[in-house]
Amino acid sequence: MQLIIQNLNKTYSNGVQALKDVNLTINQGMFGLLGPNGAGKSSLMRTIATLQEADSGSITLGDINVLTQKEEVRKILGYLPQEFGVYPRVTAERMLTHIAELKGIRDKKERKDVVNTLLQRVNLAHVRNKNIGTFSGGMKQRFGVAQALLGSPRLIIVDEPTAGLDPAERNRFYNLLSEIGESTIVILSTHIVEDVTNLCSNMAIICLGEVIAQGHPADLVDELKGKMWSKSIERAELTDYRNRFRVISTQLKAGKTQIHVLSESQPDAGFSAVEAGLEDVYFSRISEKMDLTTV
Amino acid sequence: MFWSIFRFELAYRFRRPATYAYFAILFLFALLTGIYGNGPASEKAFVNSSYTIGQLLIVISIFSMLIASAVMGVPVYRDIEHNTRDYFFTYPMREKSYMLGRYLGSFLILFLISLGLPLGYLAGLPIGLGIGEFEPERVGPFVAYHYLYPMAIFTIPNLFFTGTLFFSAVALTKNVRITYVGSVLLFIGYLLANALTTDLENQKLVDILDPFALTTYTNVTKYWTPVEQNTLVPALSGNLLINRLLWVGVSLALFLFTFFRFSFQHVLAKPVEKVKKKLTEANAAISGVLPKVQQSFSGSAYFRQMLKQTILEFRNVATDIYFIAILLAGVIFLFLDGWFGNPIYGTPSLPLTYYMLEVKDFNYTLFAFIIIIFYTGEVVHRDRSVNYANISDAFPIPNWVTFGSKFLALSLVCVVLVSMILVCGVLNQTVAGYFNYEWSMYFTDLYLLELPEYLQMTMLAFFIHILVNNKFTGHIVSIGVWILMFAIRSFAEIDYNLFFFSYRPGYTLSDMNGFGHFITSITWFNIYWLSLGGVLLLIGNLFWPRGAESSGQVRLQLARTRNNRWVIGGTVALLVVWIATGTYIYYNVSRVNRYYTRDERLELGADFEKKYAKYRLTPQPKVSDASIAINLYPSDRKMDAKGSFTLVNKTKSPIDTLFLFIQSQVGNTRITELTIDGRAPVLVRKDTIHRHFSYLLPKVMEPGDTSQMIVAVAGIDRGFDNGGAPGAIIQNGTFINIGIFPSFGYPGDVISSDKDRKKYGLPEREYVLPPQTDSVGLSNFLFTNDGDWITYEATISTEPGQLAISPGYLEKEWVENGRRYFHYKMDKQIDLFANFSSANYAVQRDTWKGPEGDTVAIEIFHHPAHDRNLDRFIKSIKASLDYFGTNFSPYQFRQMRILEFPRYANFAQSFPNTVPYSESFGWVADFSDPDDTDYAFYVTAHEVAHQWWGHQVMPSATRGANQISESMAEYSALMVLRKEYGDECMQKFLKYSLDGYLRGRATESKFEATLLDNDTRAYVWYRKGSLILYALQDLVGEDHLNRALKAYVDSTAFRTKAPFTTSNEWYSFIKRAVPDSLKYFTEDSFEKIALYENKINESDYVKMADGRYKVTINIQSRKVYYDGKGNETGDGTSANLIDIGVFAADGKNDRGMTRKTPLYLRKHWVNPGKSTLEVIVNEEPTKAGIDPYNKLIDRIPDDNTKGLTKK
Repeated sequence: MQLIIQNLNKTYSNGVQALKDVNLTINQGMFGLLGPNGAGKSSLMRTIATLQEADSGSITLGDINVLTQKEEVRKILGYLPQEFGVYPRVTAERMLTHIAELKGIRDKKERKDVVNTLLQRVNLAHVRNKNIGTFSGGMKQRFGVAQALLGSPRLIIVDEPTAGLDPAERNRFYNLLSEIGESTIVILSTHIVEDVTNLCSNMAIICLGEVIAQGHPADLVDELKGKMWSKSIERAELTDYRNRFRVISTQLKAGKTQIHVLSESQPDAGFSAVEAGLEDVYFSRISEKMDLTTV
Repeated sequence: MFWSIFRFELAYRFRRPATYAYFAILFLFALLTGIYGNGPASEKAFVNSSYTIGQLLIVISIFSMLIASAVMGVPVYRDIEHNTRDYFFTYPMREKSYMLGRYLGSFLILFLISLGLPLGYLAGLPIGLGIGEFEPERVGPFVAYHYLYPMAIFTIPNLFFTGTLFFSAVALTKNVRITYVGSVLLFIGYLLANALTTDLENQKLVDILDPFALTTYTNVTKYWTPVEQNTLVPALSGNLLINRLLWVGVSLALFLFTFFRFSFQHVLAKPVEKVKKKLTEANAAISGVLPKVQQSFSGSAYFRQMLKQTILEFRNVATDIYFIAILLAGVIFLFLDGWFGNPIYGTPSLPLTYYMLEVKDFNYTLFAFIIIIFYTGEVVHRDRSVNYANISDAFPIPNWVTFGSKFLALSLVCVVLVSMILVCGVLNQTVAGYFNYEWSMYFTDLYLLELPEYLQMTMLAFFIHILVNNKFTGHIVSIGVWILMFAIRSFAEIDYNLFFFSYRPGYTLSDMNGFGHFITSITWFNIYWLSLGGVLLLIGNLFWPRGAESSGQVRLQLARTRNNRWVIGGTVALLVVWIATGTYIYYNVSRVNRYYTRDERLELGADFEKKYAKYRLTPQPKVSDASIAINLYPSDRKMDAKGSFTLVNKTKSPIDTLFLFIQSQVGNTRITELTIDGRAPVLVRKDTIHRHFSYLLPKVMEPGDTSQMIVAVAGIDRGFDNGGAPGAIIQNGTFINIGIFPSFGYPGDVISSDKDRKKYGLPEREYVLPPQTDSVGLSNFLFTNDGDWITYEATISTEPGQLAISPGYLEKEWVENGRRYFHYKMDKQIDLFANFSSANYAVQRDTWKGPEGDTVAIEIFHHPAHDRNLDRFIKSIKASLDYFGTNFSPYQFRQMRILEFPRYANFAQSFPNTVPYSESFGWVADFSDPDDTDYAFYVTAHEVAHQWWGHQVMPSATRGANQISESMAEYSALMVLRKEYGDECMQKFLKYSLDGYLRGRATESKFEATLLDNDTRAYVWYRKGSLILYALQDLVGEDHLNRALKAYVDSTAFRTKAPFTTSNEWYSFIKRAVPDSLKYFTEDSFEKIALYENKINESDYVKMADGRYKVTINIQSRKVYYDGKGNETGDGTSANLIDIGVFAADGKNDRGMTRKTPLYLRKHWVNPGKSTLEVIVNEEPTKAGIDPYNKLIDRIPDDNTKGLTKK
């Protein structure tokens, strides 16, 4: 099964164009969506998750027309939005059982099994009888993960899922996700570039509503091979460097400003070659679209 | 520091739109009140009278509680809500400055907002005047003091109270919801407290405890005459002063408490609860492979999901602490309302099921409304407001599952609301020891009639909330829709129920007639509104918000794509039902029956007067013999009747035209046959709108001529009307009277209000009846122009299960063609006044034996279940016959009957030897407390007295004649009551009369007439009449007065020829009983309007050497004369004979009634002004008083008695 997005456009009533002629083809496995805040990641994900209309274009999932056959999409969808809540005065187990019912799991035993397993996998088994209103942010996020994985979703959309999780929980979550991801389409939006590097077989970078890069992370990194240069400079010199070179990112290191410059050859003697990472890909692509000032 | 915080607060508030919105709300409300306000009840008071302004300011200061909670609740909460507390409090400022600055800044804003009220009102008045809502003479001059004084006394202290309350609540609890819910609860509690204060006894306490002083204000002003309402403001003294000091003190104390208690640490501290419950993380091993599951998506699965979701939704509401709080408050409210019920003369009724049901229409309506509107919003928006929608919207369920579950959950809330009425009712009955639970009445009323109304409300609110898609706006719009409907109904005076969502006719439950025919009409209306509600639901489902889209355009587009055959089919089907039921209702309300707006009705009345008043004095014949055959069909709600009447021309002119007017109580009554001396008269004018017809007599009736008129009528009460009129012919308990037959000439003016008369081009009218010297008035009986003394017989038939009754003695009873017939005949002449009643009666019989061996058969026809107080009726009849026979004249009949009729009307009426008596008037009263007034006994005595005053002595149709009938019946009943129950019960009873009189004159719209010329004012003929005559017999002696009355009866009873008796003749006999020294009293009482202001000041006593006690009584006395409009015209200057009493502690008489124990009681000539008396008594006194039994008309009766201090 393939998710194919073609010429997708969306403009909000306030005039902001959230999606601009988006074309993507997503296969089974983990797909990473990278982009700065307000790039349109969430808009795109909501549209795939049937929660937002598109102005034009099409999305198909196998035989399903996502934009019109919403019911069909929802039957195979697992969705974890960036922000969500639950009824505060209901226990985790009860709520999850209820959601299992809503996801069409009619068999009582099956429901119990899957709820139990999921609670364990997201490490909430010990608070299953507590009202969700009393949960900490991380616990609530894990509850969200659990509900997204309920049923047998074949399309999983998770928007910034690891926000608020400590490193251990984050690992647990990624393990769980990759376990499922083998046989499903998993769309993961994040701004942690490292996560995409580690997890995703495919990715896209979105900026200002446009897809500005897509492909395998390693392939994208390859394109920058030998073109990344780094130098430590004084803060005051930065403007000057910006004028002279294509500075794609700046970083403070030991009181000095370290800059990354994209160039076919060594810009000057002070620069040393660095191995390009996905982060450099991200910044180089974004900086083509918008002015980045990171320091 | 304080100033900068204060200024910041003001500046912040001035930038907030809410500040202006609150101001606008008050301004707009006052503007509308200014434009449309009708002012006080009396047409003689200004619409902008001082009284009106004061009342408006107080009432709005109570409603402003909501604004006060919004304004005063937030200043501290703002720093919590926006998390500014985390850094704001680190700034170098002192807590006291912070708090005081925020508080005073907000309070100043609150005060400025409250100025919207007087400003709006002042702006509205000229507009109202301009568009002709009221006449220029009803607008008084602008007096700034009338605004400033109540603002200072009421508005500011009330805002100080509510403002401080909510400010403190938030500052100390850090919870802002407490203000919303708190204001609602406080409001409900306030209404509740007011509901409990109908009893006259505990008024002083309520006066002091009312935090808004509304009751206090009402009590201070309730006896103000129209003139006083225009000019006076309540003096800051007495209870009002205590009240204001108390509540300003309470507010101040609360403020100081908060002021010293408030600390930043407290505000910063996170709730302890949450910290304690903080969940620990486990580090359990993560294992387990996710099992494969089977998912199914079918209709039945969806349905099950909906039910499960319903339960969850309902749990969400039911576990909400505020829901529980409001519900609990409502339950207490329901319970107390039911418990205290509707006392008559302070006497409670048995906790009958219908009383328990009726409390739902008291303040509980408001309470249910709040829950429905508020929680509809909560449920509709819950998923969104807690962000659950962000995940649940992507679940594989159709919209209707979520939508349906939410509506079902709200329906369950409605069921809970309705069931509370049942629970409270049964609880009340059980606690009161009344176990006759009428389950079917409970269930029918609550679940068949009431529940649909709640559901309809929910449907509309649900629809609005979905469409508006914003909780706050949704609430505003929902409430706005209802306010709009209410405003149109009250201001525009259009109440056509078909146009007002969820409105329907009213209905009354009765033990005798059950639900009557009401279930049908209510059910039609329910179907009508439920089907429209169904359409709203179907449309609402299309617009159900799902996903992130919120723009109207996209939602409309989405709704289009969601639409399908089923939705269209369902909508069309429901619309068909809606239109069909609407058509049927319209047919019933406007075609079968008639609907008039108030204006239309007035116009019709004016038109009638303009067309036919010219026949007012046109000679018409009078009936001298009546023989009637009437058939009642209670199940079919119809009747037909045929009367044979002998007509006599008693005038001095020939009569060639007969004017017939049909004002039958039975619907659609028409004349089916009319012959005069065997010939049909020619119909020369026919007016079916006003039901007035002119017939040319076959032969001119010369003076003294007689003719035989046969007239047949038929009528039927069909269908149902807009207002829920009970109709006249009903399944069980029909009570109609001779008015089913046409009357002659012009029946009298319809419109009495001078305001309305002017509006419709009719001349103002001072009196309805002509003066005592008018020859036409003197030639007619007071209650009918159509006959003087007549012979009477009637054959009345009804269904076999019922008994049918009309005045007269039962001659024959038989069954024919499956119907039951009764023939009644009078052996003496009576006045032309007869009833026809039919019901399934049980009969209680007894006999009264007179002193000369004469007997009177007593029969009580009652609803079989109402056998509780029959003894009281019988005892009263016997005592009355005793007293009146001894003191006035012999009873003219051999029988006395009382007939119960359903509680659609609340009165008793005396026909010759027959008294129909409403179901709710004594039959189901609970007289178990001996201190409660036995009004069943009293009212019965009153009605029996009418057999003398109104059936022996026939007053003429002249001014003042009503007093001969009603004041005398009151006096007679009072004497019988006193003879039976002793002096003890009189004071309490007379206090109701006094209250009724003083309130009556306060709402007088023309002028207050005296006992000698009053022709329309019930408060004069009942209330003042009973007070004056009681005081008179107390002054001159009961026997003495009765001898004069006996002479009057001797001279006037059964007078066959005009002139019939007048108030002047009556007064001339009364004066014979009065010695010269007391002439002042009769003159004051009968010819003038005089009110006393008697009072006892601080008085004391001392024990003397001989063991007796010397009491020094300091009194003050004043007698004020008024003109009819309520202006003071001067003080009485001479001494008046007034009771002075000294009392020991209250005791009990042998019936268990509380009684005063006089140690000294004697009449003294008391001069106006202050005086001091010394009295020596044998026992230790506790209190003393001037006019301690309240025999005189006194504006403040409660200060006549006072405890004594020992010296």
